[in-house]
Order: sequence, then C-alpha cells, then structure tokens
Amino acid sequence: LSPPGPELPDKPRSATAADEADLAARARAGDEPAFEQLVRMYERPLYNYLYRMCGNGADAEELAQAALVRSWEKLDSFRGASSFKTWLYRIATNLCYNLKSRRKPTEELSEFLPAPDSERPEAEFRQKVREELVRRALDALPADQRSALVLSTYQELSYREIAEAMGKSVRAVDSLLFRAKTNVRKQLADARAKGIV
Amino acid sequence: VSNESSFDMTCKETVTLLPPYLDGELAGRPQVAVSEHLASCAACLEELEAMRGDLALLRSGTVPEPVAFIATRVMAEIRQKGRKAPRRFGRLAGTVAAVIVVAFSIGAGVFFGSGLSANGNERETGSTESAVAYVESSTTDLYSFMAGGE
Repeated sequence: LSPPGPELPDKPRSATAADEADLAARARAGDEPAFEQLVRMYERPLYNYLYRMCGNGADAEELAQAALVRSWEKLDSFRGASSFKTWLYRIATNLCYNLKSRRKPTEELSEFLPAPDSERPEAEFRQKVREELVRRALDALPADQRSALVLSTYQELSYREIAEAMGKSVRAVDSLLFRAKTNVRKQLADARAKGIV
Repeated sequence: VSNESSFDMTCKETVTLLPPYLDGELAGRPQVAVSEHLASCAACLEELEAMRGDLALLRSGTVPEPVAFIATRVMAEIRQKGRKAPRRFGRLAGTVAAVIVVAFSIGAGVFFGSGLSANGNERETGSTESAVAYVESSTTDLYSFMAGGE
C-alpha cells in the first residue's frame, strides 16, 4: 500500500484535473501504468469515502477494490463527459448501495460502546463516543443523503461534482444536503443536550 | 428576529440557503442576501453556528488505515483477468447476437430433426452431431466478431 497522504487523505494526492484527464485517456487506450497511477491517486480517498458510507473497514476495502477493478473494466464507456473522479465515485456509490441493501441495520449504541476504564483515558473515551455518534448519525441517514453529505463534507466535492457522482441535478444535491444536515442535527441533538458533544 | 433584509429574505429562506452558504456554493445576490440577513438576525446566525458545529463534529472523526494493499490487489486482479476488448456495438448488439444464436440453434434443430424422422436412426447420430457443430461454430464466430476479432 502506498503511504497515505499526510494532510488530506480524503482528497487525491497531487495531479491536476488535466493530469487526471490525461491519465484516464491513456488508461482507456489500454495503458496499464497510467491506470495504476489513477489507482494510487484514488485508493485512499475512495476507501475513506466508502468507510464513511459502510461504517467498517473490511467492506470499505472490498468495495474500493471492486470499484477500481470495475472502473478498469468499464473504461471503454468512460467518455470524459464528467471527470474520472466523479465517474469513479459513481461506480463506488452504486456498489455501496447494492451492498447496503443486502445488510441489516447495525446494533444499538449502548451495545457497542465500552465503559470507560483505567486503561482508557477519559479524553480518548470521549473521542471514541463522538466518533461513534457521528457514525450513527451518518448511518441513520437515507443512502442518498449520506452519500451527498460524505462527498461534500469529507471528499470536498463541489455540488456539481456530487451531482455527477450521484447522477442527480445540482438542485437535487442542494436539497439532499439540506435534509441531510437537518437530520444530522436531530440525530446529535440528544447528545448535545447531555453535553456529550 | 429579523424577517427582512434589503433583498427581503425571510428566516425560512435564509435557513434553507445556509448549507450552500457554508459550503461556498452561493454567489451573487443570494450570497449577499444571506450575509445581510445574518448580520441582523441572531436566530439565523445561531443556526449557522450550529451547522458549523455539526460539520466540525463530523470532520473530527478519523478513518482507520486500510489493512489491505488496495492498489496492489487491484493491479494484480486486473492483470490476472486481462482487459476486455472494447465492445463495438454495445449491449444491444450482444442481445441481438444472442437471439440470432438461439434462432440458429432452433432452426438447425428443426432442420436436422425433420431429417431424422424421414431417414431413421442411422441419420439421427450424424444429424445431431452436425447440428451441434454448426451451432458451436456459429456461436464462436459471433463471439469472436463481438470481441473485435477477425
């Protein structure tokens, strides 16, 4: 595995949009090293996106690998109308939706969180709680709201890019994000009232 | 709580625009209108700060390092599988080809089958083998053609 990006692992390392378009064009023509560069650019951002979509590392790794392999197999259909990045996220999003539709909801928060103990300092425990609350808040969102929120908040895609990645209009993305943020607020309200976050 | 600005933006309209405002997706008049409204409306400003807090909380979470060597595994898998040849005619052509193959199969079966009833068992073996060979040959040619082969 190539080392993760030191600053923003949610975003691809280096390469401008023009570089990416060039790599994608060469990969489409069968240039394997060019495709490998794209893979190494996107393996971590894609994994991070899928981790937040799935809520666990094993699924995220599996889906990231599947999405990248599928992108290679489907490169013939990539015409460059959108960026390679949004096209790749679209493949990954569809794979993730398929997986989630086959999965049961996860367990309750109280069943997951361990009690604080002497081996686990308070600050670390509170951070763990916050992370779990965030995971739960994301998990409670409908898939399309969650996808839009993760792509916006973590991957830092613009609304236009999110629209491309999700196959929706910019207006629809705007609406999804409003509802997602409203729902997250509701999800976190209880924890806020209790002073947990 | 102020319900008006120079662009007559209500609190309800402002709150709806806060997410794109925070995400830097607003420009021009809407951006100015939201800014003006926020400057004079404590409730909407509080809402904006709450949204900022939510986003900060969302971003505070970490993602564990992947265990797998994703890129290495991806490249190994595609090298093992090889690249599919570009499809010249798309999915529809594939469907049409499949229909043709099936039609040939049925046609060949009917043709050779009728020969069987007219000429007895000795013809049966030869007829079936010919039909199978014919269908296999047709199928191979079609798939070769679809894959871009000569």
